[in-house]
Amino acid sequence: MSKKILIVEDDSFLQGLASTKLEKEGFTVLAASSGDEAIKLLSTNTPDFILLDLVLPGADGFTVLKSLRENAATSKTPVIVFSNLSEDKDIKQAKDLGATDYMVKSNFTLDELSDKIKEILK
Amino acid sequence: MTTEELTKENEELRAEIAVKSDLISISAHQLRTSLSAMKWILKMFLDGDFGALTGEQISFITKAYESDERMIRLVNEMLSVNHSEDSIQSIHPEPTDIVKLIDEVFFDFTGESFKKGIELIFLKPTSPLKNIILDPEKIRVVIQNLIENAIKYSNKGGRVFVNIADKEQTIQISVRDTGIGIEDENKDKIFGKFYRTDSAKKQDVVGSGLGLYTIKRIVENHHGKIWFESSFGEGTTFFVDLPKNA
Repeated sequence: MSKKILIVEDDSFLQGLASTKLEKEGFTVLAASSGDEAIKLLSTNTPDFILLDLVLPGADGFTVLKSLRENAATSKTPVIVFSNLSEDKDIKQAKDLGATDYMVKSNFTLDELSDKIKEILK
Repeated sequence: MTTEELTKENEELRAEIAVKSDLISISAHQLRTSLSAMKWILKMFLDGDFGALTGEQISFITKAYESDERMIRLVNEMLSVNHSEDSIQSIHPEPTDIVKLIDEVFFDFTGESFKKGIELIFLKPTSPLKNIILDPEKIRVVIQNLIENAIKYSNKGGRVFVNIADKEQTIQISVRDTGIGIEDENKDKIFGKFYRTDSAKKQDVVGSGLGLYTIKRIVENHHGKIWFESSFGEGTTFFVDLPKNA
């Protein structure tokens, strides 16, 4: 059965590209465009993997991460924080809140991202 | 000016620097969003995700992809300078084995120098050195940068020598290359922000002109000195003097 990925990304163009690529790679994609939408989706869905942006309208990525780690259903779900912020303090905060990994969007292509996700889900 | 006035002015300047630094971080984030979109979409074209391409299309899209990669690298360098400006006071010194540190940097460059056909030679001191107090991560950046430049501006068959000299008050690290050298008229400007010599631009299209600027700041934060000697067309030697009791 194909693995379900939740993409939390407010930029609709980036969200569309990432969804297209990951669907091509055989994943089922759910998408949220804001932190609040992600939290709402997670109350009724349990994805196998979460790709999480940090700068989001409403609740930011850190808040989403904190909330999903506190929720029993998603406390162990792998989460890659996928952001264009790269300051040490942001990376540290994400790791402290339980992110599986931190990737800077502009430093990776989508096929590299997909490989990374497959490796984590192996 | 009174001390009070100076303190106030200092605070105002600091606040202004913080605002500028935030502005750079925010702009970089915005730039990266567009650069990511281009990177992803061009790579998907190249991978055939949108159907097969003709040879000519592949060639042009590859150029666009490489150009986008250059911009991403420039943004990354700009951010690292911004961070290093931020952390200007925040050096984390610890007793460091400088020979071991240089060995590690050497290891990172073996592939690169082999690919370019350049010999890397580390002339280690004959007697063991005492550990010196410095920020190993920042000094690593300095040595990386100097070796990277030495390789970048050398031609096939060139040689790069790294030497450590144990002076009375300082440890002197030098990086000598047999590369293109630096023209006399550029010698004063080489450590300036965003400055690149004409021959540097010819030799290597990618480069922000921030490397030497950044490492000079790092060396000065360690109360050290950095300078160079060069003969145009024959090679350059960079010297870094780090005080033993910083």
